[in-house]
Amino acid sequence: MSAAAAKSVRKVPQYCYQCVAGPDLLTVKVEDGVATEVEPNFAACGVHPGAGKCCVKAYGIIQKTYSPNRLLQPMKRSNPKKGRDEDPGFVPISWGEAFDLIGAKMKEVRARGLRNEYGYPRVAASFGGGGIPTYYMGTFPAFLSAWGPVDFSYGSGQGVSCTHSEHLYGELWHRAFTVCPDTPSCNYVLSFGANVEASGGVVGAWRHGEARSRGMKRVQIEPHLSVTGAASAEWVPIKPKTDAAFLFGLVHVLVCEMPREKLDVFFLKHHTGSPYLIGPNGFYLRDPATKKPLLWDLKRNAAVSFDTPDTEPALDGTFTVDAIEVGADEDQWTHRGLAAQTAFGKLVERVRPYTPEWAEKTCDVREGTVRRLAHEFVEQAQVGATVEIDGELLPFRPVSIQFGRTVNNGWGAYECCYGRTLLACLVGALEVPGGTLGTTVRLNRPATTRQASVKINPDGFMHYPMNPTDKAHWAAKPKVRNAHDTMVPLSASSPWSTALGPTHFSWMFQKESPDENWPKVTPPDVWFCYRTNPSISFWDTRELAKRIAEFPFVVAFAYHRDETNHMADVLLPESTDFESTQLIRIGGSKFIEQFWDHEGFALRQPAVAPAGETRDFTDIATELADRAGLLREYNEALNRGAAGVPLSNHEWDFRLDAEKKHDAATIWDHACRAASAELTEGRETDGLDWFKEKGLRTRPISRLSWYLFPELRRQGIRFEMPFQERLYRVGVELGRRLHERGIHWWDVQLEEYGGLPKVLDFPGIWEKETVKQGGAGALEKYPFWLITARSMQYAWGSNVGVQLMNEVGGNVRGHKGVLINRRRAQELGIEDGDQVEVSSYVGTTRGPAVLAEGIRPDTLLMMGQFDHWATPYAKDLNKPSMNSLIPMSIALTDSTGSSADIVRVGVKKLEAA
Amino acid sequence: MARYIMTADLRRCIGCQTCTAACRHANGTPPGVQWRKVLDIESGEFPDVRRSFVPVGCMHCADPPCMHVCPSTATFQRKDGIVDIDYDLCIGCGYCAVACPYQARYIVHKREFAYGERPTEQEEARFDPKRMSVAMKCNFCKDRVDLAKETGLTPGVDPEATPACVNSCIAGVLAFGDREDPDSNVSQLLAEHQFFRMHEELGTDPGFYYIFDKK
Repeated sequence: MSAAAAKSVRKVPQYCYQCVAGPDLLTVKVEDGVATEVEPNFAACGVHPGAGKCCVKAYGIIQKTYSPNRLLQPMKRSNPKKGRDEDPGFVPISWGEAFDLIGAKMKEVRARGLRNEYGYPRVAASFGGGGIPTYYMGTFPAFLSAWGPVDFSYGSGQGVSCTHSEHLYGELWHRAFTVCPDTPSCNYVLSFGANVEASGGVVGAWRHGEARSRGMKRVQIEPHLSVTGAASAEWVPIKPKTDAAFLFGLVHVLVCEMPREKLDVFFLKHHTGSPYLIGPNGFYLRDPATKKPLLWDLKRNAAVSFDTPDTEPALDGTFTVDAIEVGADEDQWTHRGLAAQTAFGKLVERVRPYTPEWAEKTCDVREGTVRRLAHEFVEQAQVGATVEIDGELLPFRPVSIQFGRTVNNGWGAYECCYGRTLLACLVGALEVPGGTLGTTVRLNRPATTRQASVKINPDGFMHYPMNPTDKAHWAAKPKVRNAHDTMVPLSASSPWSTALGPTHFSWMFQKESPDENWPKVTPPDVWFCYRTNPSISFWDTRELAKRIAEFPFVVAFAYHRDETNHMADVLLPESTDFESTQLIRIGGSKFIEQFWDHEGFALRQPAVAPAGETRDFTDIATELADRAGLLREYNEALNRGAAGVPLSNHEWDFRLDAEKKHDAATIWDHACRAASAELTEGRETDGLDWFKEKGLRTRPISRLSWYLFPELRRQGIRFEMPFQERLYRVGVELGRRLHERGIHWWDVQLEEYGGLPKVLDFPGIWEKETVKQGGAGALEKYPFWLITARSMQYAWGSNVGVQLMNEVGGNVRGHKGVLINRRRAQELGIEDGDQVEVSSYVGTTRGPAVLAEGIRPDTLLMMGQFDHWATPYAKDLNKPSMNSLIPMSIALTDSTGSSADIVRVGVKKLEAA
Repeated sequence: MARYIMTADLRRCIGCQTCTAACRHANGTPPGVQWRKVLDIESGEFPDVRRSFVPVGCMHCADPPCMHVCPSTATFQRKDGIVDIDYDLCIGCGYCAVACPYQARYIVHKREFAYGERPTEQEEARFDPKRMSVAMKCNFCKDRVDLAKETGLTPGVDPEATPACVNSCIAGVLAFGDREDPDSNVSQLLAEHQFFRMHEELGTDPGFYYIFDKK
């Protein structure tokens, strides 16, 4: 309430997309031109799966809007020297001068060629994680599209700060860029460090709150009792990075200890590759004539092709067959009278040693707990139950397994993702109501729906767009600096693929090539960055900042100064969230827990006047396109749909005149009209004014779109479980290609490609590297595992400069410093609030100790990444960051190109100054 | 006569502090003044540990100790149960803050801002000089409740007539309504669930109910 009654009060519909779990729909109250209050958009309650609410981060936007730390006019660097210790000497310039500087540079670069002498794009760009910045950068994607090749492979922290392996293997096995339970009908969740109550956004919190209220049981398995653990029925404090052993212990109980009829045998036989027969060289046994994989048909008592109608496939057993095997590079073996096992039989053999007793030694979790949870999982699966969704009868299996970061990235993550997907298959709970679902696709195409990307391959599984590994097509020369197309077949070749490769390679190889034959990685001529701060959010951040300092020309779209734009040549201040216009798609299914019964569009619009001389990002993009001589190409990209919606089809046409410069309002008006037409099949063509008033427009969709199983059943496609012939073949081929070029520094990673995964000593990989880098005695010097946890107040938010977030985050344990087990701290003479220094062989960080019981004695935890040294407000918070302690290392990189945010550390109390 | 109360379903709460932030917005409170907030409480010893999130604030007691100790009659109880403060009468003595068993009251003597020495435009727009050096606390967003009387809206059902913290809650934890109306949402919730009230043994008859399981 204000002291004096405001003259003018209005509530303006907006969206917030500060994290991948959005968008949240909200209104902002504007009193006499000042934004004063954020509220949920109650008008969206009926269509938004989180009741139209918005998360705590959205409430920070008002402070962000009015922060005195904002940059309010363009700036240019006056000190040509770059580095953390160099004062950039930023001086204000006009927009005209800023555009002149950038335009001239872009034309100069274009004249030299779009790629440099090593074949890498001369222009690179980094945006914050999860595609978030796209929802704030207006039409800048159209500028990038108009430009041509842009190297996105520097990333912004992906690979260690994302759920990397889940992205790649999830898309391979069930079109699941991310994975979650079918929460509204799931009854039982095993959650390995999935901090969904912090990172699942409004929809995650709402759905899980509803589920707990109706009795869903969630068991949280993690080293630290997180927010999600607090809201779970049970906490199992597992040793860090041993989740794969736990999962394989569960698999052992299901396939080696339980009666087979407890499993979903029909699902395994008819909807997975379980009955396929395996040859002695590790490939499917195939029909010599058709090369189709064989299974043993109990009805015919003979080996038949997998797609033979009316079969009763054998799940277990050994059978005598005549067949061929087709290996890597079309290697072929012919077998006669071969005794062959099924894939399922091979699985049983593989997991027989992985008993709960074995898992106990690795995970530090009692075998009885592993066994009990395995039985609960199977009992809760309700094998045999069905449910009808929109007229289609589907299996109903209300059990699921969820992963969080550190579990599903880096070494061991492949085995975890495999274990999860396999466990779902064993009880028929993959992609069916109640079970484990994928959310969206980012690597497969088309990206319109998950179902649209599903096509059968010759072996009866889903097609997957692997980067080629055959001799004729393998990308011996990387197209981008992180070499994802060369080294990581699973990363595919979609617009998202470069950022899903080993992004740290770009930075590492810029400093030092992995070998003398590797194409030299040189900095890009121009680097754009927006809503990202890799100097803080990447790993080994002090070293990384030095690499950024080597970039010759950096254009930073900047809200305020930070540790990355400290190296910028030009700072461009854009109008922020409540000051500018953008239309985005909403609905369908998307990251984390976003499952809607509707789809449509929502608008972000200027509720208040832009601060200072800041400009709408769309107007900036248009001017840049014009200055670069690309206006026509830019407008044509917009017409094709670069602003989120194609502006024409055969029934309507809202295309922009490609030869003219259009202001932001005009561009978004055209987009709004096309969006209205798309949602109403051309009946309605309401434009920007309509969306400004209403905020969103939706139409209902069938809930069947949540599940992939119906599409697979329709096309006769099986889930590619349990045997991984395709991965094995790709790995062998990749190894051959690399060795043909004399490249051997990827050999350990190549071992990860196999028909059936093995559980290795994954913590040992980090321990071994600690000793290698830290010397003898390093494990004693660094006795703790350091891990992190998501924070709803900060995750993805680019909001460390917002006072309100720091204030309310302070109410949640762990935000203020280094979480340490209370008894262990007392042994070290550390009391709550003491300043401590945490060190790894990479570096040190400092902050206050936070003592707690809910963390293992061998583990420390740091939430967020807070050792800022340039960002206003944040640099004074005196909080630690583990990013300064994590190495960039090939040895700690798995075959998908990811590592994990975990490191061995030591801690000591600092004496009071 | 109505008695407005709030319920918090502890099974649902995740301590996200969205209610805290929403309250700060709706009531224009300065940094650090949280009329509504969520406690993060740990109990037990490793490995047998529980962590709980508990929303707190003014409990709007039927027999409020803060009111009894108030020497200026600034703290008073409305007929609908809401405990409120008349800033014109309050002398800022702080007796009420000491007497409150729930530590729900704040007194601010010096203006503080999110960033440095100057208010942001929002802070300036929301500044209320009457709140300086007086006791303040949650008032269940009384203006919205009063609006309901004028418009026929139902507090706890219609967002315009419902406290900001309840509106904002992203996990369906908080509910608001009339305890005296057996058909109200809160009465229904309490009829169907087990609940407790904080420090009930003190006899203040708090109007904030914590739900923890079905009956």
